[in-house]
Amino acid sequence: MPLDLSTSARWDELLDERGEPRPIAKVLLHHLEELGAAELQERQDLAELDILALGITFTVYSDGRGIDRAWPLCVVPRVIAASEWRRVSAGLTQRLEALNRFIDDLYGDQEIVRDGVFPAELLEGSANFRPECVGARPARGVWAHICGSDLVRHHGRFMVLEDNLRVPSGVSYMLENRVISKRTFADLFEEQSILPVDDYPSQLHALLSSLAPASPEPPTVAVLTPGVYNSAYFEHSFLAQAMGVELVEGRDLFVDADDLLHMRTIEGPKRVDVLYRRIDDLFLDPEVFRPDSAIGVPGLMRAWRAGTVAIANAPGAGVADDKLVYAWVPDIVRYYLGEEPLLENVPTFRCHLEDERSYVLDHLAELVVKPANESGGSGVLIGDRATREELRAAAEAIRANPRNWVAQPILDLSTVPTLCDGRLEPRHVDLRPFTLQGATSWVTPGGLTRVALRQGSLVVNSSQGGGSKDTWIVEDETVDAEDGTGPG
Amino acid sequence: MTALLSRVAADLYWAARYLERAEDTARIVREHTNLIIDLPRRSPLTWEPLLALTGSRAAFDARYERADEESIIRYLLTDPEHPGSLASSVIAAREDLRTTRQVLPRLVWEAVNDLYLFVRSHGADGVERRSRSRFLEQVIRECHLVRGVLVTSMSHDEAYEMLSLGANLERADMTTRILDTRAVALLSPGTIELDTYRNVQWTGVLRSLSALQMFHRAMHRPVDGPSVVRFLLTDRHFPRSVAHCLRRIDEGLARLPRNAEVRTVVDGVLESIVDRDAGDLEAEGLRTRLDEIQLGLAALHDRIGGVYFTGTPDA
Repeated sequence: MPLDLSTSARWDELLDERGEPRPIAKVLLHHLEELGAAELQERQDLAELDILALGITFTVYSDGRGIDRAWPLCVVPRVIAASEWRRVSAGLTQRLEALNRFIDDLYGDQEIVRDGVFPAELLEGSANFRPECVGARPARGVWAHICGSDLVRHHGRFMVLEDNLRVPSGVSYMLENRVISKRTFADLFEEQSILPVDDYPSQLHALLSSLAPASPEPPTVAVLTPGVYNSAYFEHSFLAQAMGVELVEGRDLFVDADDLLHMRTIEGPKRVDVLYRRIDDLFLDPEVFRPDSAIGVPGLMRAWRAGTVAIANAPGAGVADDKLVYAWVPDIVRYYLGEEPLLENVPTFRCHLEDERSYVLDHLAELVVKPANESGGSGVLIGDRATREELRAAAEAIRANPRNWVAQPILDLSTVPTLCDGRLEPRHVDLRPFTLQGATSWVTPGGLTRVALRQGSLVVNSSQGGGSKDTWIVEDETVDAEDGTGPG
Repeated sequence: MTALLSRVAADLYWAARYLERAEDTARIVREHTNLIIDLPRRSPLTWEPLLALTGSRAAFDARYERADEESIIRYLLTDPEHPGSLASSVIAAREDLRTTRQVLPRLVWEAVNDLYLFVRSHGADGVERRSRSRFLEQVIRECHLVRGVLVTSMSHDEAYEMLSLGANLERADMTTRILDTRAVALLSPGTIELDTYRNVQWTGVLRSLSALQMFHRAMHRPVDGPSVVRFLLTDRHFPRSVAHCLRRIDEGLARLPRNAEVRTVVDGVLESIVDRDAGDLEAEGLRTRLDEIQLGLAALHDRIGGVYFTGTPDA
């Protein structure tokens, strides 16, 4: 199959610099060649029909109304060698362990601040530090049980771009992509060993059950969703169904005078032991956070602090996924674990440090400048695409309030051949694996690969024309079977 | 196995009602179309009884200028502004099931989603007379498919019973409505100029409930008014007879918690159906009786909501 790489001199996941298949992608690319363009397009069309028929959707908002769109999937997968993935996976586990130690410390004795490793003023300026959580003691000191990391491959090396510790989403699409992918390339799943991903719901269920404070057997676990109009509702429902637990909304729950959490059922009130919440901290409990929250549960924080219910991720866990904290993660790993980080950070310049700031101001046109406390893409300046006026404004903003800004090099995301109008063309991708931490840790084999469908674009968000791919972790060496224990 | 959430119970109950309503509407429109084609042009049967059936005459008049075939059929099948239209019912059922997907087998959601996609893309076929039957039959088939998947792949647990309550209550409601609008008129002397077609119309009443064949098997007699009324109200075995629906509701309630109060209401409605003389099968007597049954069904609906959908502790 003709593959046009001329538009890109970048690092491709399946092809090397000469346009030859990488060893791990040989089987796949050979198969695609045998299929030919027409047959591949036909399989893509069938996959799209399946997605429609299975009702795999995501919600986009326009004119204040949510519209269900069919989930965009390019059937050509991204392939990663299992040997490489094991290193990434160890890095993710290490990183989340360190972040949990960090969060537990911040809400406890703040030793990292006293030891001068993490600056006190950053904590004071953090939008996600919750004074309401100080002194709380979640089981095993774990606050962030589920982490969705954003990985990019910059010049061939995996780097962490973001740690999402609040309510990361996307895992259901990873699972659905595999369902479709197996139908599309059934023969390839026989031919090589592609690590299965569908263990995720049982791993998650085991993790959540293990958090139950008092232990009725089995504990009652519920997924808390903002409701059907939330853009991730499909996933909330999917996970509840896959785990066989209740999907609840705030109005289904109440906390009684004894600080016990209950759900309203046809038999009357029923005690809840573990809440996997998919709503932000500030909406969790109108008694403590935003009083206008209609999706939360009055008294939930009382119940959590009293230890009668576990909440995953724990309230306040988001303190560690702010862009400034991110810049400190390598130090955080060294401080708590006494180990070198196994996974790289994207180099990040912290504008409140004088030498880093002056570097940023001198090199604005080569950098991406980001506000430290905003989520999503708002306020981001991409140096090589900005006008002179924009650059001047950014420099002023940085000088006025250095603590609000960080800067990173403009990333050169890797590409994967992607079906565009019947042809395979390189398109940029990122990767969101999910890491679970309870008594032990577990990482999804692979994750959700998001792809920017427009040529040259780096925007992979599905709400902005991004697509997705299945991620195949393919066994490339004989290894001992991994032990099957999960978090929990 | 955790107890069913009150909100989910309510959504399941309503989803089943909407699906049943969509299927019933499809069947009624199909049979009415067939009947009108069968009857001579000068027959007084019009499209308007369809409006009375769905209890929506005033709302229709506010939106359409003429009560002609196209307007009425559009109103009943595809009008997105009419909450009782077939399309609106399917959308509402799908919305309710969206929030209950975690208690349903995935196949159920897929089947409902298929139905929704079909109605969305082929709704206009239902308005055109020449493609109408094919469209409506497909809707009915897809509804059967949903029910088939439910019966064969969903655990017959509390969630299932909630669906079953909703479906049976809607079915009982629809049967009484059909009797109210069609049977009462047919029993009234002089309202039909062409007596010859009376029995054709009684047959139509049975057909609109897919009841003709079962009527013959149960009654062993030609179609006549009083027998049709008796069959549709009291037959123990026909799944759309009011008595049968109520007995199914009672059996379902027996498998649900906190059922005493609701079952008392069911008993009350059953009494008003069964314990009467045949003398009541006159137009006026029937109307009074149907009113009583309708009130009973409304009370039953309220009590189911009060006990199961609010999540409050036992009083």
